[in-house]
Amino acid sequence: MASNPMQQFNVHKIGPEIKIAGVDLSFTNASLFMVISAGLIILFLFLGTKEKKIVPDKIQLISEMVYNFVAKMISDTAGSKAKPYFPFIFSLFMFVLLCNMVGMLPYAFTVTSHIIITLIMAIFIFIAVTIIGFMKHGFKYLSIFVPSGVPTVLLPLITVIEIISYLSRPVSLSVRLFANMMAGHTMLKVFGGFVVSLGILGGWLPLSFSVALTGLEILVAFLQAYVFAILTCIYLNDALNLHH
Amino acid sequence: MTNPDDFKTRLRIAKSKVKKDVLSESEKRGSFMGTAFKLGTELVAAVGVGTIIGFILDSWFGTKPWLIIIFFFLGAAAGMLNVIRAANRMQKED
Repeated sequence: MASNPMQQFNVHKIGPEIKIAGVDLSFTNASLFMVISAGLIILFLFLGTKEKKIVPDKIQLISEMVYNFVAKMISDTAGSKAKPYFPFIFSLFMFVLLCNMVGMLPYAFTVTSHIIITLIMAIFIFIAVTIIGFMKHGFKYLSIFVPSGVPTVLLPLITVIEIISYLSRPVSLSVRLFANMMAGHTMLKVFGGFVVSLGILGGWLPLSFSVALTGLEILVAFLQAYVFAILTCIYLNDALNLHH
Repeated sequence: MTNPDDFKTRLRIAKSKVKKDVLSESEKRGSFMGTAFKLGTELVAAVGVGTIIGFILDSWFGTKPWLIIIFFFLGAAAGMLNVIRAANRMQKED
């Protein structure tokens, strides 16, 4: 059994090495768990929407609850203009949630504990939101960098600060998800290691901590998926409804 | 067999039970931790982005230490702006 708490984050190849035009496209355990998460989402929603009963069974009820939850989140934060982006935010929320939750299973790999994956998602959202903003408002979109009611002397300074604040969005979005997942899983592993090294006499205390931490981690897994989705909605709201 | 008044009282009792345990203690603590972490990353991310911009501009213009210092402080200001905005948003949510 691996005693290094960081070993769980190792990415290793599964199957043959695939190289296309000098880019390593081999199938890794990260890709495997992304496929598992996506497959679980598809299976769950397929089973949930297969029979459209008037009195829903459990799986249909859960999928309808998830749908309502995301729909309400979007209409609360970004308004009715954001309706066309529902599929994107729904898939984003489900993917992050399932990646986090699948990572909670023993021996599973947590995809979202790697900054490259969360950063790519955040940069994609950032670029998409910027393009949407320019498409909706043209060059008037640049006015989000110029808050109203600022004295002319301070305007260049405030604009630079606003631009840095805007550029820091994908960084804070991705670092938050990545750091939460990585810290939580490292902590679980460290406490698990204590149980083994303290043995049957002293191992009960860290074991009880481990149980409590697992509960907390499941909460964090849900909360971070929610925060990721809701911040996407907020950024979308800034792009759609220009009111500075 | 079932009279509507009986059902109504049962529903009311069930509803009052649901309302009581919305958030347990550990769940509350978890969400507080999430809030604190959220504000922390907002602050640090902006400082990091500001410093990186300063570093890149420095190597473009060859003004080695100056722009990185200026942009570090601008980044810190942007981080505080982020934190204030995030805190305002949280207050609106509650």
